[in-house]
Amino acid sequence: MRRRLFLASAAASLAGCGPIGTALNGNDSVRRILASAEGLNHLLIGTRGLAREYRDSDVDRNFRVNGFATPSDTHYSDLVARNFAPYRLIVDGAVERPQAFSLAQLQRMPQQTQITRHDCVEGWSVIGKWSGVRLGGLLDAVCLRPDARYVVFRCMDNDGSGNLYYESLDLHQARHPQALLGLRLNDAPLDPDHGAPVRLRVPTQLGYKSAKWIGRIEVVGSFATIAGGHGGYWEDQGYEWYAGI
Amino acid sequence: MKVAGRRAIYRFPLLTRASHWLWVLAFFVLIGSGLQIFNASPNLDASDKSNPARRVLAIGSPADGVGTTTIFGHSLVTTGWLGWTDDGMGEKSAHAFPAAIIIPGYQDLAAGRRWHLFFAWIAALCWLAWLISSAVKGNLREMVLRPSDVPKLWPMQAYYLKLRKEPPPHGIYNPLQKAAYTLVLFVLAPLVVLTGLALSPGIDAIANPLTVAFGGRQFARLWHFAGMVLLVGFFGIHTFQVATQGIVNQMRSMITGWYQPE
Repeated sequence: MRRRLFLASAAASLAGCGPIGTALNGNDSVRRILASAEGLNHLLIGTRGLAREYRDSDVDRNFRVNGFATPSDTHYSDLVARNFAPYRLIVDGAVERPQAFSLAQLQRMPQQTQITRHDCVEGWSVIGKWSGVRLGGLLDAVCLRPDARYVVFRCMDNDGSGNLYYESLDLHQARHPQALLGLRLNDAPLDPDHGAPVRLRVPTQLGYKSAKWIGRIEVVGSFATIAGGHGGYWEDQGYEWYAGI
Repeated sequence: MKVAGRRAIYRFPLLTRASHWLWVLAFFVLIGSGLQIFNASPNLDASDKSNPARRVLAIGSPADGVGTTTIFGHSLVTTGWLGWTDDGMGEKSAHAFPAAIIIPGYQDLAAGRRWHLFFAWIAALCWLAWLISSAVKGNLREMVLRPSDVPKLWPMQAYYLKLRKEPPPHGIYNPLQKAAYTLVLFVLAPLVVLTGLALSPGIDAIANPLTVAFGGRQFARLWHFAGMVLLVGFFGIHTFQVATQGIVNQMRSMITGWYQPE
């Protein structure tokens, strides 16, 4: 009897995970304690080393679209219709020389190519060939002020509730040699679904850091006052700001 | 100390007992949250990047109201159990693992990751503390399977199957226990930790040979899942044996440390 009760309770405890986890997950203190692992992971793993670079033959010709598909905002569809001629990438904030780059200007800057794997937080991955401007080079061009701490990427899509997508990197991550402002994917100009005309590529972190449809890069001292204050659209919904794991 | 009039032995030091129960907690949380994470992309591929041509496991819903589980290309209808399940929001929908066994009990990848990455630290630090303390105290020697134990594995199994009257001579732990503990603590535990690390882009950038050693990112995810399945198997056998080999004595020894030899 005792034996059967013990075995039954062991099996039942597995089936109790969902309800108990749900109850605890609603508690703010529990969530704060769980979130403490992020700082430890950031400290220990950080942004070191280089993401593996692949061969041309490894590239997925049909690069799976992550996150949202083409923005439906009229501002964006107007840009697409005019082949991004009016597009300007604004780089401002804590910089000495704020600038607005046209797509043609970005295309004339030194280009870097990388064949890297995009690791989605959902668990899938896909390999693409990216070309564009190294983010660190662009930040050097606008000359950061001493109070600069984070680089915030303001995107041109909203989630239907009016929340604009945004992301952020610290300066160490932004200056990583593989942090790229992608203009081309698989030897063709970026298409709208993949983030045209400019998207970020951060191959050392999960895919949600690689923001699409970037309209403005704002250098800030802190992102606490931006949107939900967690440094990104998905971060405001509970995902880790440090997305290296 | 005497229990039930006979001499008891102090079998489990405090650190062993504490890590045992913390592992129990971490085991449930890591599996529940791991299945939550799995649900976000319910496929396992034996390749570096996602590749349907090398899909080993796929849990899906080909049509509303139908759940299927496909292993090495062979599909089973698993409606209600896998693929089309209770979603924790009062309905059934296309979810690989059901709400009852995922943490939290509805689709929330962000929260699942928070639980998983926190309890991964608890489990790993526990393992490290237990390993150091057991090595220093010498208990480790009693637990690890040695070459000399291998010929005794079958006689021990034969004893359990009542094909043999006496178990082969052994120390505190019998050869089968040693094999099980060695497999869990020194093969499966490191496997799930290393494969979990290997599928992270930040770790891949620092220690690419680790990711390559497991066959790439998606392959590491497959090994990670396989390690979990084997650990669940151990959990089942372990609880069954505790239940059948003197449950009160066994439970008391893992709570108070005192074990009553037969």
